[in-house]
Amino acid sequence: MTASAEKSTMNRREFIALTAVATGELAAFGMSGWAQNKLELDPDSVTNTDYVTDVLVVGGGMAGLFAAVKAHDAGASTLIVSKGRLGSSGLTPFAKGFFTYDPAVESMSIDEFTNAISRSALGTNNPVYTRQLAEHSLARAKELREWGFFDQTLANRPFMVPIQERGIPLIERVVITHLIKENGKIAGAAGFRLDAEETITIVAKTIILCTGAGAFKPNGFPVCDLTHDGTVMAYQIGAKVTGKEWNDGHTTRSVNPAACYDNWGDMFNRIPSTNGVEVHHDLGVDLNYRAYVTGNPVSGGPGGGPVTEEVAGGPFVPEEFQRDFGPPSGGPPGEGDAPGGRPDRGGGPPPGEGGAPGGPPGGGMAGSTMGGASAGMAIHKAEGLVPVDDRCASNIPGLYAAGDALGSYMSGGIYTQIGSSLAGSAVQGAIAGEAAAEYAAQSKVPAIPDTRLKEIINDILAPLRREEGYGPAWVTQTLQGIMIPNFVLYIKRAAMLKAALAFVEELRDHHAPMLRAANMHELRLVFETRNMILSAEMKLRASLMRTESRCSHYRLDYPDLDEENWRAWINIFKGDDGSMQLEKQSFDSWPLQ
Amino acid sequence: MTIKSINGCIGCEECVKSCPCDVIRMDPDSKKAVIAFPADCQICHLCRMYCPVDAIEMSPEKSIPVITSWG
Amino acid sequence: MKLNAKSCTIIAALAVFIGLPLLIYALGDFPRRSVLKETISILTLLFFSLMLAQFFMARSNEPLLKLFKPKQIQNVHKVISYTAVGFILLHPFFIVLPRYFEGGVKPLDAFVTMITTFDSLGILLGIGAWVLLLLMTITAIFRIGLIKRLQVKYPVWRYFHGGLAVVFVILAVWHAIELGRHTDTAMSVYFITLPVIGVALLGRYYWRTIPHKTAKAPAIQGAKS
Repeated sequence: MTASAEKSTMNRREFIALTAVATGELAAFGMSGWAQNKLELDPDSVTNTDYVTDVLVVGGGMAGLFAAVKAHDAGASTLIVSKGRLGSSGLTPFAKGFFTYDPAVESMSIDEFTNAISRSALGTNNPVYTRQLAEHSLARAKELREWGFFDQTLANRPFMVPIQERGIPLIERVVITHLIKENGKIAGAAGFRLDAEETITIVAKTIILCTGAGAFKPNGFPVCDLTHDGTVMAYQIGAKVTGKEWNDGHTTRSVNPAACYDNWGDMFNRIPSTNGVEVHHDLGVDLNYRAYVTGNPVSGGPGGGPVTEEVAGGPFVPEEFQRDFGPPSGGPPGEGDAPGGRPDRGGGPPPGEGGAPGGPPGGGMAGSTMGGASAGMAIHKAEGLVPVDDRCASNIPGLYAAGDALGSYMSGGIYTQIGSSLAGSAVQGAIAGEAAAEYAAQSKVPAIPDTRLKEIINDILAPLRREEGYGPAWVTQTLQGIMIPNFVLYIKRAAMLKAALAFVEELRDHHAPMLRAANMHELRLVFETRNMILSAEMKLRASLMRTESRCSHYRLDYPDLDEENWRAWINIFKGDDGSMQLEKQSFDSWPLQ
Repeated sequence: MTIKSINGCIGCEECVKSCPCDVIRMDPDSKKAVIAFPADCQICHLCRMYCPVDAIEMSPEKSIPVITSWG
Repeated sequence: MKLNAKSCTIIAALAVFIGLPLLIYALGDFPRRSVLKETISILTLLFFSLMLAQFFMARSNEPLLKLFKPKQIQNVHKVISYTAVGFILLHPFFIVLPRYFEGGVKPLDAFVTMITTFDSLGILLGIGAWVLLLLMTITAIFRIGLIKRLQVKYPVWRYFHGGLAVVFVILAVWHAIELGRHTDTAMSVYFITLPVIGVALLGRYYWRTIPHKTAKAPAIQGAKS
């Protein structure tokens, strides 16, 4: 036997040993694939509690806060349910910049501001929602200031101030899994508690989804609790969804990429603050293109130094918004709350953004920059329910959405105004709250047949009743492996998108129905995994359909803007046969009702 | 390990409530917080920052291999 | 310093009340934290063990009285009172102090959450111990006036002070074992052993003094102030 053969045998043995260790570890973390369901509770002893309300707010972030407060103030009985804690779930806890348009300070008029956003967004924004952001942001900031939001790092206490003052009921750590529609209108929702063996059914005249956006539980961005729950639940009952082809371009570090806190400098420690007009065209996808073209390690990529040379082609940035990024400086991360601070794209290329964290600091941190930290998330306010008017209503009567759950295209398919993510959620939450309260005042309490509720509860508990099945964490990891690589999600071309779609359809058809759950935590993972699978399908189909490149959507096979055919958004809805349908809706128009 | 340790827990449940990903639960016997689902930790430090007695120590490392966008 | 009984005693005391807790701390598998937090932790541990040393800087420690003048012992007892006890009284505030310098819950909010977590045995023990320690300190500072006003004899004051100390130390050590960040098995054994010996000394002393109140004055009467 030759030395090299011996070596390879040893390697193989080593490999097997390592695999065994890895498998053992993964199993210990509930990562095993198909397995027996080691049930920790009796699904037949799970009880149900029911609630009745005029307005149900789903989600406890910035949008949910204002939706609840304004719906209550408009006279509606209001209930908030949140998967996590008020002000401590979703992206709200990590957003430190709050955009305000203060006419006393700004040199740009609101018209000029809206036009600047439209130019940067290459027409992808909805100017009605862009303008609304500017008009209402200062008033929302003033209220937040009164509640103490700008006095401390953590949002829970300031958020509780108006909720406690008004006595608005709040149920935390509840996973809503189903929206219920009766006679073509919203009738309620159902879900379960994380901390009790209990399902929950809620009869509601109207529902405001403040469920945030979502991603594929990626590493390096604190979005792992957001899995497009609202969007997918609404899609299931016939709502139209938009914005799935866009990509948020946040970056992380190659060393310990999952360490969100460490990789964002002091961002998470900061106290929120306000900032004024600052319109950009921050892509993020351009770095993925650079890594795609030049390979790794690349300049600015893992193991690489600062960017020194231009790479030909790639995503297009309008000349007006091209920025001259200096050498790495270790300067302020992102720029959400640090007006004047610039993301330093040399050593660390954050698509600086105010609402959610900007980007990791350029120098001084361990490891180099790496794209795809927020993999699976579109641009803030671009993906979500299609609004049919300027008051956050969806195509289903009684169903509203606000913030990242609403595809308002406030910023367009690219992140444009620093700090607008958080401010936009506040502004839209307030508007949706008032609109929903108005709707509720004119409608009767809906009736949901008991058989329907029983059917839904059975559906919720089904993964607990499976004697064996796929582990949700394993299916999620498999989905991540299909969707997260930059040559699928960021640098797109038809063949690859179709290949990924085939994998995702497989997960949809043969894994999603066979997911198992041993406890309430895993039950949550089951529903999150299913939602991510459907969102992946939406992302791939929308990306395939948009045969051009624009803003944060980049196609290798269609690298140019197509103004003739693609001055349009893509709406996704469930067809009569249950299949996923896509349609175009021209920019500057509302959907046909 | 994401959350490295919980030392000096007084059982106020602030961390359980504040964790977006339901990583921490209360031990019914000791009435103290325990790291129940470490694989789901997103290393955001909210638990640590909400803890009134600063009992939680974090690590930037994830104990399972993570999937990233680039190789 | 010449090696004699006195210096040996001082060295032994330093080793037991300062060296030993530091050693256990150094060898323990505790997460290491920021300089400020580590400093607060170490000082808390040291001052707590010095407070336990109070049981030995008292008239109950008869061998010590043979070596040192009562006044000297009393001075040490006083110095420890003003420093260690003072620091331990501030311990609840030191827990939340570092929050002033970092992102996270506000120190006052943290403090309120902490002292209102009434379903925590450790917190109840801590609050109980803190109140007792405060009571002990205040009554000790104003003991002359109190003794006069209440018209009690000095030994009654002594029983009061010693009795409070025993209850306090039980609550405090239990609190430290229940909640302490640095209370592993070795530290727990240390925290239990010292007061057990101290309380035993006190018990022995009281046992001897109570039944023979009218008998000849105890040899250590000089320690009275």
